[in-house]
Amino acid sequence: MKQEAAQHKLLLLALSSCFVIPVLLLFLQSIAGEWRFPHLLPSSFSYYGWESIFQDASLVSALWTTWSLTLTVILLNLLLAFPAAKQLAFSSFRGKEMIETVLFLPIFIPALALAMGLHLTLLRIGLASTFWGVVLIHMLPTLPYTIRIVRAGFERLGSQQESQAQTLGASQVHVFFHITLPQLLPSVRAAIFLVTVISLSQYALTTMIGGGEVVTLALLYFPFAESASTQVMAAFSILFALLPLTFLFLIEGLIRLCLPYRVSKI
Amino acid sequence: MMNEKRNGINKGAFLVYLPAIFLFSACAQEQDEDESADDLLEAGWEEVVAEAEGTDVRFHMWGGDEGTNTYIDEWVAPRLAEEYDIYLERVPLDTEEVVQRLYTEKQAGEGAGSTDVFWLNGENFRLAKEEELLWGAFAERLPNVEEYVDMEDPDVAYDFGTAVEGLQVPWGNVQFTLFYNDEHVTDPPATYEELLAWAKENPGRFTYPEPQDFTGNAFVRQLIYELTPDTEEVLTINDPNEAEERYGEEVWSYFQELSPHLWREGETYPSSLAELDQLFANEEVWMTMGYNEGRAEHLVQNETFPQATESQLFEQGSIGNTHYLSIPYNAQNKAGAMAAINFMLSPEAQIAKLDPAMWGESMVLEPASLSAEEQEEVEAIERGDTVPDEKELNETFEPEMDASFVDWVEQHWIDEVVRESS
Repeated sequence: MKQEAAQHKLLLLALSSCFVIPVLLLFLQSIAGEWRFPHLLPSSFSYYGWESIFQDASLVSALWTTWSLTLTVILLNLLLAFPAAKQLAFSSFRGKEMIETVLFLPIFIPALALAMGLHLTLLRIGLASTFWGVVLIHMLPTLPYTIRIVRAGFERLGSQQESQAQTLGASQVHVFFHITLPQLLPSVRAAIFLVTVISLSQYALTTMIGGGEVVTLALLYFPFAESASTQVMAAFSILFALLPLTFLFLIEGLIRLCLPYRVSKI
Repeated sequence: MMNEKRNGINKGAFLVYLPAIFLFSACAQEQDEDESADDLLEAGWEEVVAEAEGTDVRFHMWGGDEGTNTYIDEWVAPRLAEEYDIYLERVPLDTEEVVQRLYTEKQAGEGAGSTDVFWLNGENFRLAKEEELLWGAFAERLPNVEEYVDMEDPDVAYDFGTAVEGLQVPWGNVQFTLFYNDEHVTDPPATYEELLAWAKENPGRFTYPEPQDFTGNAFVRQLIYELTPDTEEVLTINDPNEAEERYGEEVWSYFQELSPHLWREGETYPSSLAELDQLFANEEVWMTMGYNEGRAEHLVQNETFPQATESQLFEQGSIGNTHYLSIPYNAQNKAGAMAAINFMLSPEAQIAKLDPAMWGESMVLEPASLSAEEQEEVEAIERGDTVPDEKELNETFEPEMDASFVDWVEQHWIDEVVRESS
């Protein structure tokens, strides 16, 4: 028994050092001045990296755009995915396979190729270079995943609990908030996280459809990938990695606040 | 300071997009030329400035260098606002993406684009010119161009072999430079021949980015100027096959000979200049390079590069090129764009650009056209120890070759150097 516990601890240590140490190194890199082989630690420190990021006049507005964009994309994703996933999970009808394929198609066809054509359409209907145009184009690489995840959740849940509640006289809304949603939370969490990460990292789609009017953090960050200043690059990477985390906390808080049942740890 | 890379030749992606655009643009319609904008080309300068007053100008430019960004945000933009009541908004976008979006907008007949000014050269300019994505010959309309820039100078009039014809205005120029670590390199090579000898003596201490990279490509191409005494002859070639026939054998045999003495014995190459810079910063290799003579200065200042970094030019010719500013055909604020570009070509803006604390990049104005006072100001700016002398830069300067040389190097290097040497 004791040996097993020790093994457990060792494994935990090994795993966490795999994940924690690189992040620590990244942080160190962002505040390092001169840091050359074979020195284990930087020989001097500087705030140059962080300073030049926060000097960037467009940072605050880019953060704000990124936030609102990602939030809109998440909400729209859930709004569209729930009904679609439910139908796909529970009903069978003619042409179901067809619809399924169409819904998953954006994953198989390169989004960039689709975006080229969509850009023309969006230009004609006046959505190119607007916030909503970018929201729409971000649905492309995210919605298929959300539908898939939520659908798996529905299938796991089955439809019987819902029917039972309805037989007992519960309204649709009641059923959704008291039975379906609380039990689907793990799927919703997974979907939100995935959507956040995908949407945040869209560079090509955002530049193409956003046309420079919608400037997200990715637009500021990606060009620095070719910069020789490792401090700036490291600082930006940390900032970029913090975003999904803040989203995760925000959504978690919202869930705790809004749901009638405190779901014990899953 | 790798703006050159972004603005330079990188048409691969664009060509991949093209079929997709055609596929979806079957029913696009052309749009009538904006007439009021054409009047601007005829209008007097006061009218342009008056129309520009109180407007926003959206400046789309590559954003991967904090020095360049600071120069625009903190030097240019506030002064434009104060002196001209023009509000410059810098948007970080790759030039390639701007050109590609303009192309789609043209297909869709979109008259109101989101770019007012953008930064380009080389292949992007050629594509933009061919597809008529640029507004028109506005260069001569700008008073500062008239006064300080020689648009007839071959280094300005031809952008990688494509005639400029006033469609864009030069903003700065840069020159290929080798940077070395003075602690380890006592006698820096000044020719490719000396470089080969040096690499043999110091195995594993030199390498260059593979030619898919803009800088690596320039490094390979530049050898041609050492092989041939005749610059004019090089400039007449605009076909990859002819380049191969004329210089192929000598160029490839040089790089085959160099290969085993490189970092990791030439079995692998840095895939980008940023990777080479990392090796140089860690003192794994003792030289790096760059298509910008001033790029090392702020990297030394922020301690990325070793303090002992020095520069060296190739005696037989170090390639230089010019980068430009232009206005797209569907810019919404053309008057504002003209006024903003004119300001960026003023002596005060160009002198501020020289300052290594900001961008540290060369002026594009004719030195002789500046007033005595301005010339003194230029003299007074300390570009830094890592930047070669102005005199040396001028002496070694050779113009950029036709863009077909870039294709040629990209296509043949893998076969000739990597496969042959391994």
